[in-house]
Amino acid sequence: MTESRGDRSARSDGGSVTEEGPVREGFLRRLSVPLDRRFGSDFFESSPFWLPPFLLMALFVYGAIIWNLMISLTDYTGFAGSPDYSNLDFEMYTQAFSDPGFREAAINTLILLVAFTAATLIVGLLLAILIDRGIRFENTFRVIYLLPMSLSFVVTAQFWLWMYNFNNGIANRLVGSIGLGPYDYIGNQALVLWAVIFALMWQFSGYAMVVYLAGLRAIPTEHYEAAQVDGASTVRMYWRVIIPQLKGATISAAVVLMVFALKAFDFLYSLVSGYRPPNGADILATKMVREAYANLNWSYGAAIAIILFALALAVIGPYLYYEYQRGYL
Amino acid sequence: MSELDNEPDIDRTRRHLVKAIPATGLAVMVAGCAGGNGDGETTTDGGDGDMTDDTDDGEMTDGGGGPSGTVEVLHGWTGGDGARAAGALETAFSEADTDVEVEMNPIGGGGNQNLDAVVANRLQSNDPPGSFANWPGPNLRRYEGVLGNVDDVWDENDFQDAMVEEAIDLHQMNGSFRAVPLGSHRLNCLFYNVSVVEEAGVDVESLTSVSALLDALDTVSTETDAIPMTQAMSGTWTITQLWAAVMLGENGYQSYMDFIQGNGSEGDVRSAFESLATIHENYISDDASSLDLTASNQNIINGNAAFIHQGNWAAGAFRNAENFDYNEDWGFKTFPGTEGMYTLHFDSFLYPADNPTPEASKVWEAFVGSPEAQIAFNQFKGSIPTRTDVSMDQFGPYLQETAEDFANAENRPPTLQHGLAVESSVMTQLNEVISTEFTGPYNVDAATQGFLDAVPNMS
Repeated sequence: MTESRGDRSARSDGGSVTEEGPVREGFLRRLSVPLDRRFGSDFFESSPFWLPPFLLMALFVYGAIIWNLMISLTDYTGFAGSPDYSNLDFEMYTQAFSDPGFREAAINTLILLVAFTAATLIVGLLLAILIDRGIRFENTFRVIYLLPMSLSFVVTAQFWLWMYNFNNGIANRLVGSIGLGPYDYIGNQALVLWAVIFALMWQFSGYAMVVYLAGLRAIPTEHYEAAQVDGASTVRMYWRVIIPQLKGATISAAVVLMVFALKAFDFLYSLVSGYRPPNGADILATKMVREAYANLNWSYGAAIAIILFALALAVIGPYLYYEYQRGYL
Repeated sequence: MSELDNEPDIDRTRRHLVKAIPATGLAVMVAGCAGGNGDGETTTDGGDGDMTDDTDDGEMTDGGGGPSGTVEVLHGWTGGDGARAAGALETAFSEADTDVEVEMNPIGGGGNQNLDAVVANRLQSNDPPGSFANWPGPNLRRYEGVLGNVDDVWDENDFQDAMVEEAIDLHQMNGSFRAVPLGSHRLNCLFYNVSVVEEAGVDVESLTSVSALLDALDTVSTETDAIPMTQAMSGTWTITQLWAAVMLGENGYQSYMDFIQGNGSEGDVRSAFESLATIHENYISDDASSLDLTASNQNIINGNAAFIHQGNWAAGAFRNAENFDYNEDWGFKTFPGTEGMYTLHFDSFLYPADNPTPEASKVWEAFVGSPEAQIAFNQFKGSIPTRTDVSMDQFGPYLQETAEDFANAENRPPTLQHGLAVESSVMTQLNEVISTEFTGPYNVDAATQGFLDAVPNMS
């Protein structure tokens, strides 16, 4: 219906101006009808709006990813010459999986991903529940908890470095006051990754709190009242009634946090002002930059980048599919 | 969301669109990718030789009254002494008798890592600067294929006679000069806080072996509350650097040279690591792992520490501290066991091939090697000229002594950590070994083996 109306007006316009009108219109029509039939109505007519940004994205984001994939299949190193695409193989990937440094970085990345996300969600949820209890100075506390997220990694890395200082850092003062330590948080390879996770958790739990707070506010008061009328304790009420309703908030916060975890490069870089994090805290992102820029192993760096990309996709993919299933996309 | 559910038509349309995106996207990507390849190949082919030479010749014949234009120069001197020295260099160039202008672009941070990354990206995308600061020697290898030659600059200015002997070999790759040196730092330096050392009763001049140094560190730790040796371990480079000094001090010049050529003696490498482990396990501060160079220097200035091993850029920090004077408050001793040696470092300007301003960049290169440039830059940078015919009158007493040591040194072994001894990939590997095996706990066996394996046999 819409099409025929559009056709009529187009014909009258085209006819009055030039004779080419009907020819072009016929061509466009031959193109647009099957496209619209395949992809739904207005697919063709709406293309001027979505096609240009779509092409730009395709070229600069997805095109770059594909190009990177191609480079990772070559043996390209150094500056001389350009990548040789005639001989593609997975040598860089086998090299990666037999490289102990890579394996360590991959394991650290996974630990960071899981532990940081879980810890941040838990702390964020607890903060959100506390703030949602109708406490005094609620807005003030909310701002205080959210503030760390507004700071740049360069700043937070530097002051966590000071806080973790062996001799006069506040971390050792605190554990010292309960009779523990002192610990060498940065220099001890068994501790450093956890120290980094703790610092990142501190920075991002405010974000998780805000997401959860929005989720909590969307739950009607009746649910709380009904649970209380049924005689549920506060803990039981949250555990059985409220938290299950926060599934959506948990999923969206977790996805954002995991992607942050994969990008922890900035924090580690600022911590040591270099591409080599303290031993025990090397992650794929730092290893990738080291291989590419310190060693000029472009193809090896590209292979690590693709593996990192696959990891990110493994995180994002199920989320996108979940949203797609529910019809949000 | 409920609105969407009520309108299944719109919903379906959007879903179809999502399905369509990957298919169309893929097609576009492949096209874009293929285009990219083509471009890359053509430009690089042109850049490999022919194009560079052509441009050079063209400008040489054209330039009637000497070259003009603006040279873009990248360097990493952004803070303190470095920034001042770079400023002095720029001023000296503007006063020099040429029509060429210079545009200095400092890229700081992460040692030279950020500078290296920017240079790498620009060389990679065929957009080289006119010249950039870096280390010569085996470090040049990583730029193989993208460096032009400045043989004519060396010839016309008689640099071969003017520069220190070692510079001649270290600035060549594949038989041509690729860079011109600007200044030299010294690596085998032991600095100390005079009052801490006196309080401990250590006679610094008597420290002429690594074992004497270990005894002195022990004396400091028993006699005073100060840290015997402050060590900045937030990066691995300080550790590699100290290992090289201990290796030289304990096993001598020949053993060190054998090591960097890939014929290292297992016993010598091990003994250097053992001494280094003794220092790290007993005499550095507990918070060493979170110290950077600035904080480590501060330990000396504040009197919290007795000794520090560093390149003589550290002297710049001491000189700039208030009420902290050479020989009264801080002192210098050649690293124990390396008397008569000068561990050599160069700051040089490299000349990219396919140069955007080939002739003007050569004017800059010629200037870098001139006495005016070397005096202007080095007196502020805390380094010394690489020319042997420069008057040291304008330099402070400490640098005058350094220049004397430089001229009289029996051996000038190349620095391990700063590009002159091994290629950059080997250097990275050495630092990986240090990071995994020698940042505590200290695994002498694994570190020794790692070091020996990392250096390829050159002979």
